[in-house]
Amino acid sequence: MMRALAFLTAALLPALALAEPAAVTMYVNPQCGCCEGHAKHLRENGFKVTVTPTHNMSLIRRQHGVAEKFEGCHIAFVDGYIVEGHVPAGVIKKLLSERPRIKGISLPGMPEGSPGMGGVKAAPFEIMEITDGPPKIFAVE
Amino acid sequence: MGCLFVSRRGFLSGAAAAALLPVIAPARAAGSAKQVRLFAGVTRLPLAGSGYPQTGVWAYDGIVPGPEIRVRQGDRLRVSVENGLAEDTTVHFHGIRLPNAMDGVPHLTQPPIAPGSTFVYEFDLPDAGTYWYHPHIRSAEQVGRGLYGALIVEEREPISVDRDIVWMLSDWRLLPDGRISDDFDNLHDMSHNGRIGNTVTVNGRVADVFSVRAGERIRLRLVNAANARIFQLTFAGHRPRVIALDGHPVEPHEPEGGRIVLGPAMRVDLVLDMTGTPGERFDVMDTFYRGLSYRLLELVYDQEPLRKAPPESPIALPANTVPEPDAASAVRHEIVFNGGMMGQMMMRERGIGGGDMMEMMALMRSGRIWFINGKAAVGHVMEPMLTLERGTSYVLAMTNETAWHHPMHLHGHAFRVIARNGAPTRYREWQDTVLVAPREKVDIAFVADNPGDWMFHCHILEHQESGMMGVLRVA
Repeated sequence: MMRALAFLTAALLPALALAEPAAVTMYVNPQCGCCEGHAKHLRENGFKVTVTPTHNMSLIRRQHGVAEKFEGCHIAFVDGYIVEGHVPAGVIKKLLSERPRIKGISLPGMPEGSPGMGGVKAAPFEIMEITDGPPKIFAVE
Repeated sequence: MGCLFVSRRGFLSGAAAAALLPVIAPARAAGSAKQVRLFAGVTRLPLAGSGYPQTGVWAYDGIVPGPEIRVRQGDRLRVSVENGLAEDTTVHFHGIRLPNAMDGVPHLTQPPIAPGSTFVYEFDLPDAGTYWYHPHIRSAEQVGRGLYGALIVEEREPISVDRDIVWMLSDWRLLPDGRISDDFDNLHDMSHNGRIGNTVTVNGRVADVFSVRAGERIRLRLVNAANARIFQLTFAGHRPRVIALDGHPVEPHEPEGGRIVLGPAMRVDLVLDMTGTPGERFDVMDTFYRGLSYRLLELVYDQEPLRKAPPESPIALPANTVPEPDAASAVRHEIVFNGGMMGQMMMRERGIGGGDMMEMMALMRSGRIWFINGKAAVGHVMEPMLTLERGTSYVLAMTNETAWHHPMHLHGHAFRVIARNGAPTRYREWQDTVLVAPREKVDIAFVADNPGDWMFHCHILEHQESGMMGVLRVA
């Protein structure tokens, strides 16, 4: 019996404002190794991370209006924001303290050297705002 | 869990099972081919069961799976396919060693069947076993919407069983209103592990229970018709024995840990002896994906036993007619898979860098994501990656330098899986689709005895459509 549409309730509810440490709900492909590395990075930087494996990654992104150009590997929800891909913890903290009126932020692709990915950073990371408008950089790391 | 679909409806109760399985018994006309007609069209079916929204599907003859075609080894089969879809289609008879022109690959072996047109496939069936048919054009969507059926070639002298049953396993990505999600070929699916759905069906219905009788012996033919889902089935309280893989007989054996693994397009024939007692219930679980195990269905024993204990008659199948590759003279070719998510990391791990890597990374950004020996295919027509001499034995030594599984399918031939990571395999099994794990090396051996241009591709259909496809020419 396999009628696993539970994500529809779980993922649709934006995380409510929670007491510190900020709670991160991360949806990952069950066969992906790097996502867990990113979760570890966030935990080491004070976040409380719940990792949920799911086959519904593309549906979750669709429901939240995350276009393919913003796609990283996994998607996380923190304090009402979407965090897509291997965004460094410091940038998420900046997001939570500034609280801009955007859907969230993304580090598209899986750049080498980003938290959880391993490898050597070849260029500064451009963390994008997730919006329906023209592309806008939220932070450069 | 807020499961949307919950039902406790009985499924395939013993006596009704035969009636539920559509069987085409082609008329036997002496000296002529068995005739089957298939109509590919659009319909609506209650995949999730009564009380839930129906699903619009693409189906052969209005049913999913399509009609079960049953023929006898040595028969000739003629299948007339009429295209009632709004787009081109073809039919590939997966695993059958047939003439190239009957292989159903668009543009490579035949022009596509246009909407409203008919194409007639006709070929002999040299081997007994469990096979299946499906489109080979835009197959991620055409298969993903329900176009497939089983093709069973019975042995001339089959083993003795009480029931011979097909479980066609399918995987659907459904929305809460019952529609199939139309996000085919999205970037995540293509670059990760393909389109894995949220609703698994057995013979076209979400299954709850499968009725059995104590003392019964069942031949269970498992077919993985999913686009991308890999199944790892366990039968609690039972000791299923594998007797055939991809249709071809294998020395009967219990799989390691009782786990039966089927990548997309693979088939496993089991002998399942019902050793429980009346009234007992046992879980059949699918445990492949970490953290996402679920119960496929429950085996439920009827109150009436069939007999005291299952029979002890032999279960080994007679060999098929596939030519034996000659190890001594076999010509060896190395084949490497690259690409996908984490592909760059894998290449770095393997010491691949510089121009080769940069070229592949650039292609990946343009949607050509998977590479066989550095090439990502676009469409089915291409220069052959290898030209093989007809009648010669070959070893293809495959190395998976990606972070993902790939069920690799060769058309027109069956091959022996002779080694994994350099160690000889115990059963030297014949397959037409072999699951290659991340970082794994798998050697296959076969005689290139069937002339023509044959596809060699990953059967995760999203991987195939984003490049993981090549052509082997036998000349």
